Amino acid sequence: MKKLLYILLLVAISFEMTAQKVIIKGSDTVLPLSQKEAENYMKQNAGASITIIGGGSGVGIAALMDGTTDIAMSSRKLKMDERLKLQEAGTAFKEVIIANDALSVIVNPANKVSQLTREQLEAIYTGKIKNWKEVGGEDLQIVAYSRESSSGTYEFFKEHVMARKNYASSVLNMPATGAIIQSVSQTKGAIGYVGLAYVNNEVKDIAVSYDKGKNYVNANMANAQNKTYPIVRPLFYYYPTAKESNVKAFINFILSTAGQKIVEQVGYIPLK
Amino acid sequence: MKKLFLFFASLMSLNYLYAQEPVLSPLDTLTSNVASINSKLDVMKRLKLSGYIQAQYQIADSAGQESFAGGNFKSGVDKRFAVRRGRFKAAYTSPADERGVSTSQYVLQIDVSEKGLAIKDAYILLTDKWTGWIQLKAGMFDRPFGHEIGYSSSTRESPERGRMSQILFPGERDLGATIAIQGHKTSNWNWLRIEGGLFNGTGAPSAGADASDFDKKKDFIGRITVNKSSASEKVKYGFGASVYNGGFRVDADTVYTVGADMAGVNGYKIQDGKFKGKYAERKYMGVNAELSVAWAPGITSVRAEYIQGDQVGTSSSSSSPKAAVTSYVYKRAFNGAYFYFLQNIGNSPLQAIVKYDWYDPNTDVEGDAIGRTVDGTTGNKSFNTADVRFDTWGLGLAYRWDSNVKITAYYDMVKNETSKNLTSTSGKPSYTKDLHDNVFTLRVQIKF
Repeated sequence: MKKLLYILLLVAISFEMTAQKVIIKGSDTVLPLSQKEAENYMKQNAGASITIIGGGSGVGIAALMDGTTDIAMSSRKLKMDERLKLQEAGTAFKEVIIANDALSVIVNPANKVSQLTREQLEAIYTGKIKNWKEVGGEDLQIVAYSRESSSGTYEFFKEHVMARKNYASSVLNMPATGAIIQSVSQTKGAIGYVGLAYVNNEVKDIAVSYDKGKNYVNANMANAQNKTYPIVRPLFYYYPTAKESNVKAFINFILSTAGQKIVEQVGYIPLK
Repeated sequence: MKKLFLFFASLMSLNYLYAQEPVLSPLDTLTSNVASINSKLDVMKRLKLSGYIQAQYQIADSAGQESFAGGNFKSGVDKRFAVRRGRFKAAYTSPADERGVSTSQYVLQIDVSEKGLAIKDAYILLTDKWTGWIQLKAGMFDRPFGHEIGYSSSTRESPERGRMSQILFPGERDLGATIAIQGHKTSNWNWLRIEGGLFNGTGAPSAGADASDFDKKKDFIGRITVNKSSASEKVKYGFGASVYNGGFRVDADTVYTVGADMAGVNGYKIQDGKFKGKYAERKYMGVNAELSVAWAPGITSVRAEYIQGDQVGTSSSSSSPKAAVTSYVYKRAFNGAYFYFLQNIGNSPLQAIVKYDWYDPNTDVEGDAIGRTVDGTTGNKSFNTADVRFDTWGLGLAYRWDSNVKITAYYDMVKNETSKNLTSTSGKPSYTKDLHDNVFTLRVQIKF
């Protein structure tokens, strides 16, 4: 009986030692995708435990630097400063693109405006356009929502939509994408931007023109895949090479046909 | 009976009152607890404690040699263990707004080693809350000159700063106040920084020493820097220009400057024999540039800085004074520079280090002219060992054990200018040939 107990104990310890435990931190944009992928992965791998925490791309990359995450989720590429800090920390790392994401511009469903040019979006977010009547809507003050500066989405929007111009001080920074959806759905004059996967019936997505009004394209899976929708970006996983053996199986799962099918189901653009 | 009834009635009403307290669901309780923990955590996050210890072993070419690789070796010593730096830093930063602007910061840093306890940083930093662009810094902190002075010793790849930095800015810090203008983190102008301020000019105190100012004159230091990254975020570059305009009161009668004697031999001649109480000038100008590129072989970084100017020192040293000067002073025009080449080896934790620096304390003299005998009847004096130029090559390898531990092996090869007229005198080594003063350093650093 005693021997049996020892054996059971040893089995339990060895199981605990070999069980895959992965912590993933970072981008709120990548969060729902990682959650869905992890759910499916854990169903297939009983011993695996994957914990996913949001907070923004900057938060994930900071966690990678201080060694408190196995994978950093990011909706933007690493900055050079971050590369230098990772070098200083002796953290050799690898970069993997797991999916693409279309960034949707959203307004309140009661808003009559349904299309905007890139230049108009830039003017709205830099504070030059303040009223919806200036872009064909009703006489209503524009309430612009953005993510916080630690968000990769914040920086991507600034670089690719606002031509690197500064956000106006009147733009309201929200701590999470869900908060933008909620605020836009409750505020008639609101405008915001979120990952395609977050768009629901409580908000209305806006068609965007990158050719000064000649063609307007809505954010959806088909337009993102055929590359007619212009605001598309890659989503990244960064992980320390020292932890590759622990995370590789999960990443391979995401890159597999089954994993990429989940990418599409969640509302992101698969790689293939 | 009535009293008994009233007693029970009040008991029941009390029970009813208690029953009115809302019963929270487990989820509400958890949410409330998390919110409470988060608010406490937010306060704790504002206080950042950090530090590092550098323990090292050094082997010198000669016992008792002078060295800028962590200080001179004591007489008879050519190998030594040392705690080069033992830093502990506390920084409190007020909450940042959505632009990343914190309006105030408190910083205190101390250094503990076998030499004792010394204050390194003690300053306040205030940022204007309206634009977030203007900063006032006051207390003891790094002089805002060039790049190497303000580059942390825990991050710097070579064990020590170059000879030029150590001579011109001993201890790196000084007591003063600066105003800086720079766009906040989310501003498009964040890449440009302009700063300037006034300082005592005495530098920071060594362990157990007093570095209080000893004169009325305050020194001006100004710097303009640019730091940018390419759109691909694979290249980072920066450059800057700095000026130093200061001086100190001399408590001795005579100031010397470079000049010829009656026979035309160059040396030092008296410029002013009634200089006591007057102010000697320190004037420097410098430029610096940095470049880092991330590419297949690993991140490559190069850095360079050049400084020239006028320095006033003593007969035996061109080092900036930390206390009132009571001996005769000597004016010298100097220049110096350093270059770093750093190559991370692929994506590994190994980094190769190549560094070259020079410091020429007196650009008006070179070679055998140093030490040549001059006619002393009019008070002229010969150039001496304080006028010798030094060139140093450094080769090293850094290994980042993990995010806290760095191990560095580094070899300093020091080459001095030679002169047949600088033979060994009163304990000073002979500079007729290159001195045996190379140093090997093996350092382990733990940082948190």
